[in-house]
This record gives sequence, C-alpha cells and structure tokens, in this order.
Amino acid sequence: MGIMSGAMSVRRFRVVGELPEGWRELFRDRLQELAFKTPPHEVGKEEIEGWVEVHNLLDADFENYNRWLYNEFVLIALRVDKKRLPAKLFAATLEKRCEAWKKEKEVERVPASIRTELKEALELEWLKQTLPTVAVTEAAWNVNEEWLVLHGMSDAVSDRFRKRFFRTFGLRLVPWSPLDWVRTTDTVEGLINKAPSLMASPEDLGELR
Amino acid sequence: MSEQDGLPVLPHLAGEFYTWLWWSSEVQGAVFSLPDPVGQIELWVDERLAFRNADDTKVTAVMTGEAPSTSLEARAALAGGKVLNDLRVGIRRDDREFTVTLKGPAMHITGAKLPQVMSEGIDEVLYDRMFLYGELSLVLAALYDTFAEKRVSAAWESEVLPGLRRWIGGEL
Repeated sequence: MGIMSGAMSVRRFRVVGELPEGWRELFRDRLQELAFKTPPHEVGKEEIEGWVEVHNLLDADFENYNRWLYNEFVLIALRVDKKRLPAKLFAATLEKRCEAWKKEKEVERVPASIRTELKEALELEWLKQTLPTVAVTEAAWNVNEEWLVLHGMSDAVSDRFRKRFFRTFGLRLVPWSPLDWVRTTDTVEGLINKAPSLMASPEDLGELR
Repeated sequence: MSEQDGLPVLPHLAGEFYTWLWWSSEVQGAVFSLPDPVGQIELWVDERLAFRNADDTKVTAVMTGEAPSTSLEARAALAGGKVLNDLRVGIRRDDREFTVTLKGPAMHITGAKLPQVMSEGIDEVLYDRMFLYGELSLVLAALYDTFAEKRVSAAWESEVLPGLRRWIGGEL
C-alpha cells in the first residue's frame, strides 16, 4: 500500500525554493550522501535514517537515475530503523545478573556504577541479536509543478521527512492548505474573514439543551 | 501570511464543506456541474462519516456501513451541533470512479481508491497513478472552489444556510 499501489493516504506539500542549476546531478549526489547506510550489528538504540529507493528498501544507490527519476517525478523513500529491546524481559534479566554478581562477590548490594556496567553490557549483548523495526515513508515529488505527496498521515513522520528533505535538497516543504484549491485571492481573503456558520438551526440546538 | 509560510488551515471550513457536500449530493441527486476543465461529475457519500464536537478536535462518533448518510443518527448528530470531521465520498467522472476519505480540518486525502491501473513497469504505473491522483485533486479543488464562492457570497446566509438547516432538521 502506498504511492505505487493500493489505497493512497497522502499529505500534500508545496515545494518552496529555487531549483538549482544542474539539479539532477546535484540531487543524485545529495541522495547518495544521505542515503540509508546499513549500520554495524553492534549499533545502539538510536534511530538510523536515510533515503532508499521505492522499489526495495534495501536499495540505496542513487547513481542510476532510472531508479528514482521519472521525467518530472522524483520517487524516493525515507527509511528509519530503530532497535527496541523488550523492556520487561530486559529488566528481569538485569535483575538476575545483579543477583548473580552479588552472589559471586558475596555482598548485599550492587553499587550503582556496577549496575550501570551490567546494564550496558546486557544492552550491547541483546542489541547485537535484535533486528530493527523498519519504517519506510514513500514520496513522489513533481519537480516541474513544485508539489510533493507523502504517503503517511502522522505529524511525527511528516516533520522528520520535511527536515531530511530540506537537509538534502535545500528546499522547504510547506504543508498544503485547502485554501490552495481556491482560485481567487479575494475568495481566500473572504473565507479567512468569515466567522464559522452554525450549521444546525439555533432552534434545534435550543430544543436539545 | 506569506508564500513561504503557506495558507492557513481553518478548521471550521472543512466541517462546513463536508456538510455542504453531503447536503448538495442529496438535494441535487448526486450530479455536480463544475467549471471547466472538470465538467459534470457524480458524487455520493460513501461508507464513513465521523463527527466531533464543535469545540474539540477528537472524533466522538463514527458511522460506517452501508449508506450511513441516510441514517437518522447521522443528521441527528448535525442537529445536535456536532461537526463532520471525516467524510468518505465516491466520485465518478466519465467512466472513472474514485472513493476517498477527506480527513480532518486539513482535508487530507486518505484511503483513496483510484481506478485500476493496467500499466506495467514502474514508470508507467507512477505516471498513471499520479495522473489519477491529479484528476481526483482537480475534482476536489473544483468542488471546494464552488463551495468557497458560495460561502463568501450573500446567498450563503440567505439561501444555502436556511436550506441546510431545513435538511438537517429533517425536511428533505
């Protein structure tokens, strides 16, 4: 389900800013630079993000224009990986490790510094074995008409994408408003200045109260 | 309000537009004659209506299933002062049929079912899907622009709103 198939749920943006000369080459280089790079296994809990191709989230090589540029359309996806440890199981296991340490050292309490060491060691051990959760947000950008649709409805996803987009292309994504559909500026001004209408009749509302 | 910041999203307008669409589709038998280049389309309320309280942003009532717009509860919600937050509509233009949920004050296009694309190859599929998305946006833009023109005209207070209120009150 996304831009290329199935039901479409999109946010629309206007792309604001001047398209640089030689934008195809420049954008290719920037996409390459900020493409998703598979992290080493021992990487921590931080989120890893980068551009991938829409065809397959494992493809992050933008050298070939035919894989991401289709005439006036740029088709890209933002991949975000995050490793999450099962919190309850982790806490219980850490408790067992602390108990084992106390038994080995024949002491009553585990000092805070040792507890932190044990926690970090366990985290590292588990993160090596844990696969990340992967989120991919697809977008289609019409370069000529200066609009972009993002397949995803969450504010957090949208904010992340906009930041990455600006960092990559130096262009701003401005959220589209329904008022962009109105043809004349007089009508837009008129709508902005009109107070909300009470759709139900005041009599009906009065009867209910 | 600058080009850089974009136009504002006015929350009350979406609810008014959704209600006007629903009402218009019932009083004029689903047919809308829109300005060029759109022309004539058919529009009907489909399988989902979601309401919120006027002073809140959270959806408080959802009606789904077959023809929820014909149910007494749906118009009773409006009569009780609730505001439409999401509206699922079907649209037919020529032989192409779309269904889409317009969601929230920003009128996001969600769950849009576009006509089946028979193309092969990613580039053809992309062009076809974007063309159909563009056509859907074009129709919605023409509908919203038609609503906007009425909304700022004197006829809104003298004709449209009284008609809407009679319909909400069950006169149609």
